[in-house]
Amino acid sequence: MTIHNLYIFNRNGILLYYCEWNRLKQSGITKEEEAKLMYGMLFSIKSFVTKISPLDTNKGFLCYKTSKYALHYFETPTGLKFVLNTDTGAQNIRDFLQQIYIQVYVEYIVKNPVIDLQEPITSDLFKQKLDAFVKQSPSFTSSKVTSY
Amino acid sequence: MVADDVLLELIHSELVAYAYNKEEEKDKKEVDFSSLEYAGFLSGYRIIERLTKDWPRFKDELETLKFICTDFWSSVYKKQIDNLRTNHQGVYVLQDNAFRFLSRISSGTQYLEHAPRYVAFTCGLLRGALANLGIVSLVIAEIQPMPAVKFHIEVKRS
Repeated sequence: MTIHNLYIFNRNGILLYYCEWNRLKQSGITKEEEAKLMYGMLFSIKSFVTKISPLDTNKGFLCYKTSKYALHYFETPTGLKFVLNTDTGAQNIRDFLQQIYIQVYVEYIVKNPVIDLQEPITSDLFKQKLDAFVKQSPSFTSSKVTSY
Repeated sequence: MVADDVLLELIHSELVAYAYNKEEEKDKKEVDFSSLEYAGFLSGYRIIERLTKDWPRFKDELETLKFICTDFWSSVYKKQIDNLRTNHQGVYVLQDNAFRFLSRISSGTQYLEHAPRYVAFTCGLLRGALANLGIVSLVIAEIQPMPAVKFHIEVKRS
């Protein structure tokens, strides 16, 4: 199983953080444009899912899968959105995203008084902790590792 | 996660931000942390009253400092001081390798310019605690690569 990349968006759709580990195909557009496209798609899926659902949805949109990869979506009540792309076999990614939120984001961003919560994340400590957290997870096994 | 732990951290960071903004309004070039340090002094002076209520008197200065490093530190910072050194002439160096108010900020030199703000309160806290135990002192913090801090305590003899 492999983890490809991670996006963190805030409530207003601003990309707070992007990180990739094992991404084989680049989009060919800038990261800013890609983030906007990604957010727009998620926004549409979310409203589509709530409108089309025959029953009340309490969790809403959780993930989608193509033949090659799976996109996992986790949104907090405060509107933070964690989006993780993995291969199709990955398990328990929802818990994993929640743990990233609790153990990495809350600890090293929310509790860090020098960080502005509305701005993209530049903290080295966060970057380091996130990287370590992802690499120790059972879903992360790949020989080729690139991180930014 | 216990909420009251977080509350201290959050209120401390707001205290720092508040003291710092006030200084900026006055348009001072040199920031001084005397208001923060004084707030720490008063808090330390009061908290030590409660913490030592079940203790016998300390036999000397070193005993007092040991109490500060263990019980006092763990009640406020949830850990003990990692290293205590002294020259036996009234200078003590307390080293905390993972200081609570800095441990979330950085592990290295990033945001180093902000670090002094987050130790001023604690300097006052130490000074206030010692003052109520009868030790008049001067406390200075030295920031090592974050999150490690050394507090230099210089005892004033009269």
